Amino acid sequence: MVESPFLLIAATSAAAGLTAGFVMHRSDFCVTAMFRDLFLVGDFFLLRMLVLLVVVSMVAFELGRAGGMLTPYPFPLLGPGSLATLIGGLVFGIGMVLAGGCVVGTLYKLGAGSMISAVAFLGLLAGSALYAEWHPWWSAFARATALGPALTLPQWLDVAPALLILPLAAVGAAYLYRCRRRGLLTRPAYAAGHIPPWQAALILAAVGFVSWLFIGMPLGITTSYAKLGASVEALFWPGHVAGLAYFQALGLNYTPPFATEPVSGGAGPQLDAIAAIQYPLIVGIILGAAVSALQVREWRLHWRIPPRHYASALLGGLLLGAGARMVPGCNIWHLWGGLPILAVQSLLFLLGILPGAWIGGKLLTRYVVR
Amino acid sequence: MEQVNSITIDISGQICPSCLLLTLKELNQHAAAVRSGDTEIVVTTDDRQATATIPDAVNKMGYAAEVTRVDAGYRIRVCAKR
Repeated sequence: MVESPFLLIAATSAAAGLTAGFVMHRSDFCVTAMFRDLFLVGDFFLLRMLVLLVVVSMVAFELGRAGGMLTPYPFPLLGPGSLATLIGGLVFGIGMVLAGGCVVGTLYKLGAGSMISAVAFLGLLAGSALYAEWHPWWSAFARATALGPALTLPQWLDVAPALLILPLAAVGAAYLYRCRRRGLLTRPAYAAGHIPPWQAALILAAVGFVSWLFIGMPLGITTSYAKLGASVEALFWPGHVAGLAYFQALGLNYTPPFATEPVSGGAGPQLDAIAAIQYPLIVGIILGAAVSALQVREWRLHWRIPPRHYASALLGGLLLGAGARMVPGCNIWHLWGGLPILAVQSLLFLLGILPGAWIGGKLLTRYVVR
Repeated sequence: MEQVNSITIDISGQICPSCLLLTLKELNQHAAAVRSGDTEIVVTTDDRQATATIPDAVNKMGYAAEVTRVDAGYRIRVCAKR
């Protein structure tokens, strides 16, 4: 793993992670809150920031595609949409609210010293690895309920991506312009070193673009949760891990940009292309957030909290991990990467997490935050 | 100077969005007293997001909020609008 493609991939990934972790901590760019607060308190503010990120990414990705800069297109690991994606999204939505953060939110909060997120992280590893136990029949269910071979909406409708993506982006831009005129894209913030969420949305869209440009795909981390979980599991039950089909499969096979040879990777414990792409991103996000929290002198462990909060984080983490594998893919992958190119899986994932976040909010207010 | 009754709650480290929800719960329970200026709610938290969401929410409800930095977190005071 010392060839240059892996070096470029790992370096880009680490830089993307450090930037994202720092920025997300400073601006409280919590994707879970975007959906949860919509249902819990009728607050649309953060969701507008997601619209901004998606609209900017739509234009950037489309220009990048048209200019031949973003290859492969669509990016690898996207599959056809199915009922499995919708159900996985629902499970993911419930999990992210109960865990108090999504797969990336958990990392940046963990980096800033949150014990709740540390517990959610353990749940995520366990949930991701446990998915391997029912992967064979779940993937059969996904195949049986697949909508068709098309990966994106333009492919499905057989139109040029620009014809669908750019008009939709224009509608989104008009909505955002109206929000800006009414002062709905900013609100007073008092946290030290705060970065306005609209700036964070622009920075994160740029990070996603750079990731696709140099790595060949936007940000994503959840296969590595399964990989890390498998690595831990293999310490205790190596025979069992070796016998699971999910950990044997190499779902990623592609030639990265700036590389001449194809690379491959999967969810098994081995160090492969998935590890090169995602491990530096995970470590980068945790470190970026830790640097941010230390810089504003807010890094502190709080562990004396009601036990039901820990239980919620653990259960939420398990659901998040399992849900992300059932989709497959996480909110960052689908909302920041897939949605801007109108990937069918990403659209179904979005449809799933909306009711999931609503159910999660109901469970959270009834059993956890009292 | 008139004595103001302070209700203090520490919501450090809890799962998000405990800080916002528990503050609103407390505020709803003591709405009349807070509105009259007799009582204020003082929240200690490490939740950065709450420093934006609590002032935003209570302002919409007709109250005032004041955020100050303490140790490794924040103190958010919710009181009547002057």
